[in-house]
Amino acid sequence: MSQTPNQPPSHEDDRLRPHTYDGIQEYDKRLPNWWLYTLYGTIVFSIVYWFAHQTAAVIPADGAQVDHAMAEISAQKMSTSIDVTNDKLFWEMSRNPVFVESGRQTYNSLCVACHLPSMRGKGENPAAVGPDLIDTAWLHGGTPKEIYVTVDKGVPAKGMAPWGPVIGAKKTAEVVAYILSHHQEGEPITVQTNPGH
Amino acid sequence: MSAPFSAHPPPSARPKPARPAPHAPSLESVTTINEDGSHYKLHPADSRGRFLLWRRLSAWVLFAIYLSLPWIPVDGYPAVLLDVANSRFHFFGYTLAAQDTWLLFFAVTGLGFSLFFVTALLGRIWCGWACPQTVFLEHVYRALERMIEGDAPARRALDAAPWSGAKLARRLAKHAAYVAVSLVIAHLFLAYFVSIPELWSFMRSAPGEHWAAFVFVFLFAGILYFNFSWFREQLCIVICPYGRLQSALTDDHTLTIGYDAKRGEPRGKLGTAGAGDCVACNRCVQVCPTGIDIRHGLQLECIGCAACIDACDEVMTRIHRPTGLIRYDSLAGLGGGRTRWVRPRTIVYAVLLFIGAAVAAFAYTTVKPASFLVYRMGGGAYFVDREIVRNQFMVRLLNKRSDAAAFEVQVDAPGYVHRSGLEQPVTLAPMAEQVTPLVLTVDRGRYEGSFKFVVRVRDIAGQFTLQREVEFLGPDPRLLQEEDHDKGIKR
Repeated sequence: MSQTPNQPPSHEDDRLRPHTYDGIQEYDKRLPNWWLYTLYGTIVFSIVYWFAHQTAAVIPADGAQVDHAMAEISAQKMSTSIDVTNDKLFWEMSRNPVFVESGRQTYNSLCVACHLPSMRGKGENPAAVGPDLIDTAWLHGGTPKEIYVTVDKGVPAKGMAPWGPVIGAKKTAEVVAYILSHHQEGEPITVQTNPGH
Repeated sequence: MSAPFSAHPPPSARPKPARPAPHAPSLESVTTINEDGSHYKLHPADSRGRFLLWRRLSAWVLFAIYLSLPWIPVDGYPAVLLDVANSRFHFFGYTLAAQDTWLLFFAVTGLGFSLFFVTALLGRIWCGWACPQTVFLEHVYRALERMIEGDAPARRALDAAPWSGAKLARRLAKHAAYVAVSLVIAHLFLAYFVSIPELWSFMRSAPGEHWAAFVFVFLFAGILYFNFSWFREQLCIVICPYGRLQSALTDDHTLTIGYDAKRGEPRGKLGTAGAGDCVACNRCVQVCPTGIDIRHGLQLECIGCAACIDACDEVMTRIHRPTGLIRYDSLAGLGGGRTRWVRPRTIVYAVLLFIGAAVAAFAYTTVKPASFLVYRMGGGAYFVDREIVRNQFMVRLLNKRSDAAAFEVQVDAPGYVHRSGLEQPVTLAPMAEQVTPLVLTVDRGRYEGSFKFVVRVRDIAGQFTLQREVEFLGPDPRLLQEEDHDKGIKR
């Protein structure tokens, strides 16, 4: 620095640290109290936290916290989901215009690419990817709960994606209701276990 | 302490003080930290002058900006809304989504380069004029303290006075005012993240309904209250990293606030023969908000607030001497030399700033008001059956505009590729996103191995196009031929 006027006298009682770096020496001054109290505070906190978390387990272990959060999520999912093993319920849904309409919207955005807007898939155009959903022949089971499992879990070997994790249980059930709205309860079902491709 | 102006008693008679008077600034310790580590509460005297006037004006402009931005609607959103909950960031009608986080790189480095450049050129101009710490402390909290408890001598007297009803009333009034201002600042701060109507609905509902927001606002207000009522200059001196970087960014030609020792020294009372212009009135020390003596030279505590300039100019004017004994100048200028504004450091910082600004400007113009992604559907990478080889994709489209928009998805692939899905334009509500399957098939007979193709998204308004290259995957075509041959299928 180019100006150092009026150097105040140094305090003889200040302790000078013995080291010198680049010609700079330093005093051993007391740290600000607020700084020290912050340090002591963190030390106390770490002991309390260690005791509460690791020893006394007042705060549950990390794994238990994750399990608890996951359980909460699945409980919330279950509370909004539908009994997917109840065929009767699916048939009721398939006659409910609200469910069918929202199912139609989901179908039109996600399913049409393979099963075509007519839902007839290969039945309409052999070059289509997905099978016919209007006829009474089914590849993976034709009861409502079987159709639900097919949409939910998919048929990965054939290219049918598992949609449950993508759209959730409610929308999956709505799509099933939309498919069933083109069918009659008690109609004959033929299941082709080996469709030949 | 003996009166400062009396003749020094002989050294032997001088009592050795238990602790050196903390309010006598020295270069060897921080004025506001006592020898025993306790905090020495400063009471800076009032300064008057042109810099105070300009600083106050700029502070009120800054307050106006801070207080008004969440209230000004631009395209249906507040001028600045950092909607963290929905990952949408609105800046004056320009909306960024979480996908655009990479732009933050340019904002942060741009801030860094700007600070480098401004600091090398103008020193701690930010600290004294624009930093929220200084602006709120000097122009709100200290102003309230001055209004309620009086000027510096009155405040010192109040500190020393025994507790009484009057003292209690003043203290309560002051701290109530601090708390009220802290709460306003904290609420406005939250409004930048949730918008004013949302904040208002939070405020009218029970704390438990939005406990996270409630805890945040009151914790933040508590920190502000502590900082501005007690901590004050300690933040600049001990905590602020920008203050610590100063010594690496400035040099002898950087603008600082300094004392012209050539003109001022030796100090002497008015009328002392052979004395310089400094009349040792100590006004510059009394007004300093960090408690330093600027006449000791450039010090880390100096936040460049110019209070000492105003104080000294006032005295110099009164005794009919030229102003500017303490002034904005570089160390070179104060030493009698000439300040070099253009020098390698400022050139390098300016070039870095310019390059950064150019790249950032380019980056921000490439941001389209929509984004899209093509990824493979769960399951296999490809499917082969008797007739076709099939690839299944998901197209994720996101409309980042604040009004609805329609998009057309085109697939730029050879003619023998059959495409299914997304034939119709997709209309998306503001800020909506949609995931749609896209299935591509190739006749087994026409299949010649994996190939690359391009998926293009065009907005119907014709303003922009986005594209991504995707690969159609499948087995080695010779394997298919062998299989067909084995099964006796004619190709």
